[in-house]
Amino acid sequence: MVRNRVLLVLAVVALLAAFGLAFVAHAPNRLVSGQPIPLLVAAGSRVFALLPGIVLLFAPFLPQRRAVHTVTVVAAAAFIVALWWLAGAHAAALAEAAPPAARTSLGAGFWTLFICTALALIEAVRRLGLRPASGVLIGAAVVAVVALLGAAGALDQLSIVKEYASRREVFADAVTRHLVIVLAALVPTVVLGVPLGILAHRRKSVAASAFPVLNVVQTIPSIALFALLIAPLSGLTALFPGLAALGISGIGLAPAVIALIFYSLLPVVRNTAEGLAGVSAAAIEAARAMGMTQQQVFWRVELPLALPVFLSGLRITTVQAIGLTAVAALIGAGGLGAIMFQGVFANALDLTMLGAVPVILLAVMADALLRLLTAYAERQPG
Amino acid sequence: MLKGFTRAAVVAIALSVAASGAFAQDAVRVGSKIDTEGALLGHMIIQLLESKGVKTANKLQLGPTKIVRSAIVAGEIDLYPEYTGNGAFFFSIDTDPAWKSGKSGYEKVKTLDAEQNKLVWLQPAPANNTWAIAVRKDVATANKLSTMEDFAKWVAGGGKVKVAASAEFVESPAALPSFEKTYGFRLAQDQVLVLAGGNTAATERAAAEQTSGVNAAMAYGTDGALAALGLVVMSDPKGAQIVYQPAPLVRASVLDKHPAIKDALEPVFASLDLSTLQTLNAKIAVEGQDAKQVAAAYLKEKGFLK
Repeated sequence: MVRNRVLLVLAVVALLAAFGLAFVAHAPNRLVSGQPIPLLVAAGSRVFALLPGIVLLFAPFLPQRRAVHTVTVVAAAAFIVALWWLAGAHAAALAEAAPPAARTSLGAGFWTLFICTALALIEAVRRLGLRPASGVLIGAAVVAVVALLGAAGALDQLSIVKEYASRREVFADAVTRHLVIVLAALVPTVVLGVPLGILAHRRKSVAASAFPVLNVVQTIPSIALFALLIAPLSGLTALFPGLAALGISGIGLAPAVIALIFYSLLPVVRNTAEGLAGVSAAAIEAARAMGMTQQQVFWRVELPLALPVFLSGLRITTVQAIGLTAVAALIGAGGLGAIMFQGVFANALDLTMLGAVPVILLAVMADALLRLLTAYAERQPG
Repeated sequence: MLKGFTRAAVVAIALSVAASGAFAQDAVRVGSKIDTEGALLGHMIIQLLESKGVKTANKLQLGPTKIVRSAIVAGEIDLYPEYTGNGAFFFSIDTDPAWKSGKSGYEKVKTLDAEQNKLVWLQPAPANNTWAIAVRKDVATANKLSTMEDFAKWVAGGGKVKVAASAEFVESPAALPSFEKTYGFRLAQDQVLVLAGGNTAATERAAAEQTSGVNAAMAYGTDGALAALGLVVMSDPKGAQIVYQPAPLVRASVLDKHPAIKDALEPVFASLDLSTLQTLNAKIAVEGQDAKQVAAAYLKEKGFLK
């Protein structure tokens, strides 16, 4: 009877969330918890928008054919858009009768339905056997339609969008700043980590001393490492005033980037070494037999064959750096973490979400892009 | 080949470091704490300095008190709003009775910071953002509570109280223990709910929503959220608490270079009394307005900015 267990589990969780949890919550101001409003009440006369969701409930029981997968993809994409539209429309209706400080927030029910539907979408795309690039495109299209809804003003009365509206000026800067910190850490990480990985592969002694150190660094809590760098860096700039002119100081970007490099090195070094170790001896021997010099063997055989493993290390380290950068806001580095912690300190949940959700989105996007690159590198050895 | 990598590494690090710098060094770097009032006062300072032609660099909402304080001592920011009473903790002399009065506390921290750190405290605002206990309005009305004396009598007489507070508030001798000693009451262990790392936003919310039976909360005098959350502050007529008046704290060398800072800021801080700060903080914390716009609107309304 049941043809797809993944979709069945998702459908059951989504049903429980739809009837058991608040879809949106309405509060007199942004500091207090709101009155929970279930999905059907919020939908009201717009209940027709739930139709794609009903289609998804049948999907686990249908024969697993391409046509069914295609319908599932379309229904899931439509349902994600419908969820946002319904929440926005109900928030707008509530706002008409409420004082200006009142807020309508997205509830646990909304987020659960949203995540279940997104997972159903991923499952159906996977079953369709599409190329990774097509999957990424479908995801981007759904995000684009929701963004269009927002641009058209359909989501304006949602609390998280109100938080965005009052921080429109600093939000874009925060995203840019976040990415600058991540890049400023990743470029030196790759430049230092790749040679170190190559050395670790070639010399046992390097591997034996580098890996324990890098492993221990990973276990230091990030906030502690950020804070520990303030004193020595301030001391350095006091000794060499020239450093301050370069922008190195105990707070802000410098300690954040240095700490991030420490954390980011391990996956890059380890995967470079592992990737090289995984290159078959036969391939190297064949290349030598063809008359390649040692340099040529490295650049034309070892490096291309090790590339996929290296790229997956880079993917891990990038996703990790995007998350850790949020914590760096506590030492004045700025970025999306600054918005997140302002929310935490003011106990304004939606402001916290405004900082946290883009961090998750950035991490998911970086993960998808680097997966694509890895798949491409695997398909084209050399 | 590895040599090439090393050279590339040095260049890349130098580049990423240089890219991170490039801040104009002659601009006055204005910082603030990460909280609501920090954002409000910080934006006021930036707008006022800019209006007097003093160039600024925005370092607002840098982090918690410890980070901002070490930043100005290390010379990494030039100016930020700080509370006079925090001198008690910066100089580890929190039992000194001088802190219990606004005037003597200001004189004390001004002298100490000038001698030890070459920092100048400008005139503080006439508002006291001190620690207080706020009680749910329904409880306060039913038991006729408005001062800490009423509160102490009510607790001693078996009043059903449960206070949400941070560990610091419960343990620091200058905070809850000082209230207990001055007004003669004692909260039993089950009458206090300690929120780990709790700030007043969290404790006030707990009281407003009666989490775990909480009906009172640790609060700050100028918190904007109190009225919106239906809480009443118990006044402190015997002065059990350290006085915390917000004042601009500036590096002496920067003030020498830009003497206009003093004239730009002092009249504005003089206008910020308790109820003004509460109202402005509420616009940001409760209504979610942008701190920059709230600051600009106030400065224009009062004629400090055109």
